[in-house]
Amino acid sequence: MGFFRSVVAMSVDHPKKVIACYIVVTILFAIQFPKINIDTDPENMLPADEPARVAHREAKEEFLLHDAIVVGVVDESSEEGVFSSATLVNIGKVTEEILKIDGVVAGDVMSPSTTDDIQAEGALLRIEPLLDISRTVDEGYARSVRDAALNNPLLKDLLISGDGKAVAIYVPIREKSESYRISQEIKKIIGDYGGDEEYHITGLPVAEDTFGVEMFKQMAISAPMAGLIIFLLMLYFFRRVTLVISSMAVAMISIIWAMGLLIGMGYTVHIMSSMIPIFLMPIAVVDSVHILSEYHDRYGKGGDRKEVILEVMGGLFIPMLYTSLTSAVGFAALSLTPIPPVRVFGLFVAFGIFAAWLLTITFIPAYIMLVPGGRPRHRDLPQKKGDPPLSRIQRGLGHYSIRHNKLVMLSIAVVLVVSIYGISRMRVNDNPVKWFHEGHPIRVADAVLNKHFGGTYMAYLLLEGDSEGVMKTPEVLKAVESIQEYLGSVDVVGKTTSIADVVKKISYELHDEDPAYNIVPENGNAIAQYLFLYEMSGDPDDLLHLITPDARKTNLWVQLKSGDNADMRTVELLVDDYLEEHELPEGISASWAGMPYLNVVWQEKMVAGMLKSLMGGFATVLILMIILFRSFLWGIMAMIPLSVTVAFIYGFVGFAGKDYDMPIAVLSALTLGLSVDFAIHLCQRTRQIFSEEREWGRTVDKLFMEPVRAIIRNAVVIAIGFIPLIIAPLVPYQTVGFFLVAIMTISGITTLVVLPALMSIFKRPLKIG
Amino acid sequence: MVTIRIFRYALPLLILLLIPGTTVALTADEIIKKASLVYNYAGDDGVARLKMRIKDRRGRERYREMTMLRKDIEDGGRQYYYVYFHRPADVEKMVFMVWKNIGKDDDRWLYIPAIDLVRRIAARDKRSSFAGSHFTYEDVSGRNPEDDEHTIMKDELLDGRPVYIIKNVPKDKDIVEFSYYVTWIDKGDFLPRKAEYFDKARRLYKVFTVEKIETIQGIPTVVKIRAEDKGRGGETVVEFEDIRYDVGIKKSVFHERYLRRPPRQWIR
Repeated sequence: MGFFRSVVAMSVDHPKKVIACYIVVTILFAIQFPKINIDTDPENMLPADEPARVAHREAKEEFLLHDAIVVGVVDESSEEGVFSSATLVNIGKVTEEILKIDGVVAGDVMSPSTTDDIQAEGALLRIEPLLDISRTVDEGYARSVRDAALNNPLLKDLLISGDGKAVAIYVPIREKSESYRISQEIKKIIGDYGGDEEYHITGLPVAEDTFGVEMFKQMAISAPMAGLIIFLLMLYFFRRVTLVISSMAVAMISIIWAMGLLIGMGYTVHIMSSMIPIFLMPIAVVDSVHILSEYHDRYGKGGDRKEVILEVMGGLFIPMLYTSLTSAVGFAALSLTPIPPVRVFGLFVAFGIFAAWLLTITFIPAYIMLVPGGRPRHRDLPQKKGDPPLSRIQRGLGHYSIRHNKLVMLSIAVVLVVSIYGISRMRVNDNPVKWFHEGHPIRVADAVLNKHFGGTYMAYLLLEGDSEGVMKTPEVLKAVESIQEYLGSVDVVGKTTSIADVVKKISYELHDEDPAYNIVPENGNAIAQYLFLYEMSGDPDDLLHLITPDARKTNLWVQLKSGDNADMRTVELLVDDYLEEHELPEGISASWAGMPYLNVVWQEKMVAGMLKSLMGGFATVLILMIILFRSFLWGIMAMIPLSVTVAFIYGFVGFAGKDYDMPIAVLSALTLGLSVDFAIHLCQRTRQIFSEEREWGRTVDKLFMEPVRAIIRNAVVIAIGFIPLIIAPLVPYQTVGFFLVAIMTISGITTLVVLPALMSIFKRPLKIG
Repeated sequence: MVTIRIFRYALPLLILLLIPGTTVALTADEIIKKASLVYNYAGDDGVARLKMRIKDRRGRERYREMTMLRKDIEDGGRQYYYVYFHRPADVEKMVFMVWKNIGKDDDRWLYIPAIDLVRRIAARDKRSSFAGSHFTYEDVSGRNPEDDEHTIMKDELLDGRPVYIIKNVPKDKDIVEFSYYVTWIDKGDFLPRKAEYFDKARRLYKVFTVEKIETIQGIPTVVKIRAEDKGRGGETVVEFEDIRYDVGIKKSVFHERYLRRPPRQWIR
């Protein structure tokens, strides 16, 4: 440690050089910022070579599937819904214009006017676009379009809602990165050609883009806002703008370093990494709050500035080193998860924490040396006038918890038991749409479309055979049909579509709409000929979304009504069970693809990975504590506030009925790293004071002065500073805000109440009395 | 009919040849009309074996083989087509018949052997795919020159041969998916060599290239043609084999009852 102490001394001796050096380095990191690359693709929650993701990509290519913008057209105001002549003409015109947009896979756009319907009229078979606005569109025609749509199981609930109130237009796009521009052009088209009917624009690419935009807003608004509030609160406590600025500078610089390094190393800014500034802010500020708090109190009493700094730093050096180490360990442990964005996030926050620590022990002393003027003015001094409410609380707290130490321990035990019950009620689930707050246009569109249609969340059940043409055999198609029938009975499934549906529809129409023929034919050639008939009239690529040209693989679309991973997981398990009982024909195997399925895959990995990283982080922090205090008992004791905080917060999440999702999972690292901090300070100072005072009572008195005040200031600054996040438009940010407030409050209270109580009970084994 | 054709076309040509040094500039309408006759109405009837390779946008290939019979009722006017599928094996014996009409919708029939059923198919849309290929019905049977406004863009050399480049703009733009198309027509044999189609946003989305021409029974005939989808990707190549003209196919062959009993004389 001698080396590091001399680093502090050097900063005090050469403040200008140190600060100049930091300015240069910070500029180097800051100039990386223009290279920023936003990534909102949920697929990237999994590594690029993850088998499920590779299979998903292959399925998308094999079945020519693109990410699509979904335009929902809704009219609930009238009986005929969207099937009025005026609305149909608008839909036709809007579609026509959408086809002209660059970057749209025009041939694959699905709209009533681009999708074929098959209908028998006596001996005549009609295979034509469902809607044709080049003919006279009157109310009679509008009705016939509606009847045709509702009579076509391939279109109903996919393109046309069963209640006739809504129509969907699916706009596949070439590049996800273009979805913002394309959705803006669609909006303009709707402005030009739309009527009184409502239009909703959604779909995964739009959601991702909007999320990216909101993310930027959050980075640009929420983080600085939290910073501002922290600044004001610190100003309230310390009164000296110049001093408080140093603390804010530490936070700013470490954020610039961490983000600059991340961007400079070519990593993309994902939803997780966009939260790095928000996570770093409180962690970077905490240590300097301790320094400023003690410097402020001591320098006010007199003495040489340089000596006071060295004295304050001497007392805080070890606790600061360990609080930083534990926080860094908590985040670095996230690298044990198999989810790349979480790994990157954890490692760069850890780097930021290291930077903040380095700045705290060098930049702050150097800065204080350079600050003009000196002592806090008399009236500001807490000793004379102080902040009485805080002082009273401090003293009261200390005495209360020691006097009622058994009661304190009992109530903590109760809290722990209740929390563990709460944790057992926690449901693992994520839903990226729910990352938007309620009332956000994306969530509104999502709700409206899922109300009318079979669901906007498309999963794919892929069947693969061992020979060409096998997917056109009656045996396999009947198996597909029975899986569909089974899925139809599952609540969360809104609709399924397969090549069997196409075959059945053609059979039905060829046999004059005789329901007895709405079946998969027994004759394999008939199946091939029906499909050939469809290809001969419609868009030949239509069928390729359902079956490969060699008919070795087929794709069963499963539309889910919600984006809840838990729902997809249910469907997956049910299908597994079903296939266990009803075996697929010889040589046929089934597998899943589609975004809902990928979400389930990373969620499962996340849960397992988080448990591992939480355990790893916990063990490492415990070892660090034992090393720090050179005592097993002290080590264990320092872990108590942390354990209570983690249990309480997750127990609360369980009771509140909030799902255990990605942001909540990741916050365990923050909880781990931050809630041990106060305990480190408290235990360290207790031992330090005791070694000077050699008496328990005086130790407690002294402990509940400056050290506890620093802890309370710290907790208050962070807790209040992050309250604005609770009203942020993105739910993960709200969650972070809630957690920070909770972490500060719970770990602050447990540290100040439970630790003194415990110490007073175990005075002897702890060697403090 | 043959005599009519001589008067209509050979005569002006003869005059042209007899008066050296003079050139009579053809109008765009005349060029297109002539190209349509040369390309779609060669002989009075014809039979050919078509081999069709369809590649989807990922390059996966499907193969079709069929025999096509054609009979012209009137040059530049009504025509009958009879298409018998040999391959793929599971659609063998399927027959597709078209009566191409001028000024009204075509009549189409389909025979589905697996259930021994003949159905008439409504054919408002001539622009839909033919047999799952990148050719539309209209690409196969020929677009009526009257449906477009034609203008000569310029004269040029294509592969060393002089060609007319003609822009064709549809008169009724609501019923087609293109905004215009450009054809390259050989000044010598009047066969189209190339065509490029532009979508409603005026982006190139389809290209047809004539890849091989042979003279059969004295008639220059396209025997290999490629259609490429420039929008989504994918292409279809058609090769014509065993082409014979003026074999005397009876009009009665092109009747519903012959869908079940293909004329063995031409279809083997």
